[in-house]
Amino acid sequence: MELYFSPVHFIAVPLFAAFLLPLLGRISQKLVPIVPGIVLLYLSVVALTLFPHAYEAPIVEIIAGWRPPFGITLIFGPLAAFLVTMITLIGFVVWIYSYRFIIRQPLEKYYMLFMLLIAGSTGIILTGDIFNLFVFLEITAIAAYALTAFLRDHNGAEAAFKYLLIGSFTSAFVLLAIIILYANVGTLNMADIAMRMSDVPVKIKLTIMILFIVGLGIEAELFPLNGWAPDAYSQAPSPIGALFAGIVVKAAVYALMRVLFTLFDLSISSNFLIVMGTITLLIAEMSAMRQQQIKRMLAFSSIGQMGLVLVAFGLGTKEGIAAALFLMFSHAVIKSMLFFSAGYLVFFSGHKNIVDLEGMGREKPWTGFFFSLGALAIIGLPPFSGFWGKFYLLISAANSDHMLLIVLILFSAVIEAVYYLRVVGRLYFKKLHDIEVRKTPFTGLLAMGILAFVTLTIGIYPDFIHELVLPAANELLDKAAYLQYAMMGQ
Amino acid sequence: MRKIITITFLAILGYYMIILFQQIPFGDNRMNVGRHYLENTIEETGSVNTVTSIVVSYRGFDTLGEVTVLFLAATGLGAILFDKRGKKRRRQNASSLVRTTSKLFYPLIVLLGAYVFVHGHLTPGGGFQGGAIIATGVLMMYMSYRRFETNHKALTIIESMAGLIFVTIGMAGLIIGQSFLENFLPLGTPNTLFSAGIIPIVYSAIGFKVGAELTGVLDTLLKTIR
Repeated sequence: MELYFSPVHFIAVPLFAAFLLPLLGRISQKLVPIVPGIVLLYLSVVALTLFPHAYEAPIVEIIAGWRPPFGITLIFGPLAAFLVTMITLIGFVVWIYSYRFIIRQPLEKYYMLFMLLIAGSTGIILTGDIFNLFVFLEITAIAAYALTAFLRDHNGAEAAFKYLLIGSFTSAFVLLAIIILYANVGTLNMADIAMRMSDVPVKIKLTIMILFIVGLGIEAELFPLNGWAPDAYSQAPSPIGALFAGIVVKAAVYALMRVLFTLFDLSISSNFLIVMGTITLLIAEMSAMRQQQIKRMLAFSSIGQMGLVLVAFGLGTKEGIAAALFLMFSHAVIKSMLFFSAGYLVFFSGHKNIVDLEGMGREKPWTGFFFSLGALAIIGLPPFSGFWGKFYLLISAANSDHMLLIVLILFSAVIEAVYYLRVVGRLYFKKLHDIEVRKTPFTGLLAMGILAFVTLTIGIYPDFIHELVLPAANELLDKAAYLQYAMMGQ
Repeated sequence: MRKIITITFLAILGYYMIILFQQIPFGDNRMNVGRHYLENTIEETGSVNTVTSIVVSYRGFDTLGEVTVLFLAATGLGAILFDKRGKKRRRQNASSLVRTTSKLFYPLIVLLGAYVFVHGHLTPGGGFQGGAIIATGVLMMYMSYRRFETNHKALTIIESMAGLIFVTIGMAGLIIGQSFLENFLPLGTPNTLFSAGIIPIVYSAIGFKVGAELTGVLDTLLKTIR
């Protein structure tokens, strides 16, 4: 059947909007915050329309009319459909929240960077070309550096500079990996590379893989490359924290997995992923416990969750990957809600420290409520989506006989419960400091409300998402089918 | 101690990289995609310059991305230095020799830049190079004259319009032809100025965009220095 929408809309429309915003800003400043909302709403509609088609048969779009391997292709299979839909919907909610939260100038620059971040991360997920992936990785990363420093204070600049240094260093690694890869196989299309990979000597293959893991691992918050994350998350404006946790990291994890699963055999890196994921998880959870600042705590918790996701991917079974995707979805929703509510709590109390938030739960009932809900959900208590993510992970770990892993995951969940409940306790059972209490804007509450509704609904009906992630997991595992349609049967 | 460890580590890494690059069969008949480009460029894209045909046609989507990266760099710089702009700067005029030469050469440099991006599909060079040449001309004027100003508003407008044209051409390919950024205009006779379909239009847009962006970056940075 004829489709009006094509996957390239996810990249072209936000780019168009980003180029248009400076012109609109000259005409009217009021239009500036509205346009990104329209764009994200449109992209959500496109995503939801294309979604069922991708599950029937993957959509392969050729750019500029050159068939693979000569041109660039966009591949919209179940996995890409799931992640892109998640990104556009989270992006829309972040926009609702930003609408009243970001009021300082330069507004148009904020929204331009926001749009480019969306275009970059959807590009990473859609592309079927390894160099194109690098380009979109750069777009996402540079937008992230600039957004980290958006508040233009001393700490923000320091965090952004740190992020910039580590980020540029590792993108050089990715580029080096691509150069070596191209020198050996003479092609850039990922499916084509995968088919010619057997010609490459094992030592070179291994070097390329290490370079890719180091380069992509930084944005995926893999230990020990995640040093930028706590600073960047805590110094950037709160909606940006949600963007990092909900979008940037997810796209980077996808890129890492696409490279490991499609270009290489997972069997080489499976144990490595499990071990690194567990170390990431344990170190992050223990560091989170020691944090004094609420956003730093959330950042370390985010790193911990990414550790869980890497472990789940490392299991390499269909259930394992499905659990990883479920965890990614549930983490994107819950962590965004936590950053949103923490953002207002910090804003109203005027301090970033957890101690200064004492008693805020009684003074700001809704914001406090949403924070507590998010805390309970991310720990993994039953009526929320967080529970099912961990549950599926534990089941697939048990099925692959990783008993020690189960013990470690449960142990980390206990640590998680301790530090989250400690904050929730302080919100409700301590005396309030002197603060001037203002109303939380409606848009902020709306954004948190939507996310709370989603995490509850998915918690009650987990099969809805679980049935979507199974075909997506299958796509990642079934390399032969991917090569078949990505090369368009050549 | 830390320094010694770092140096040792880097030395091992460098040694390993040299070994690795020695093993790569450069020049072998392994360039699967590259061979296709070399043999079919003129026939398929109408551009005599193979590099241009790869940059703007075969991998035009990457170029759109790279243009965006530069746009992001300029935007990010503008966002971070937002408060500090518009402060008075103390600079001295250069000597009259430099000033006269700059004044003479400025239009020529801009003309050379324009030539480089307009002829991108015929001679070496293209949008990025042409834009950069124009920006160096502006930099020379900034360094020679104390009161030299560029119109920041106009720069923003050029920058935005060029970006919009690039994306619009891409979308036009999707609507008129089959795919995004498709070369929907007639290819014409190779080796003439009006050939290669959309390539010269896209390269001119890139030239304007890069020129405006780099000039904007210079402007932002110069106004930040007190």
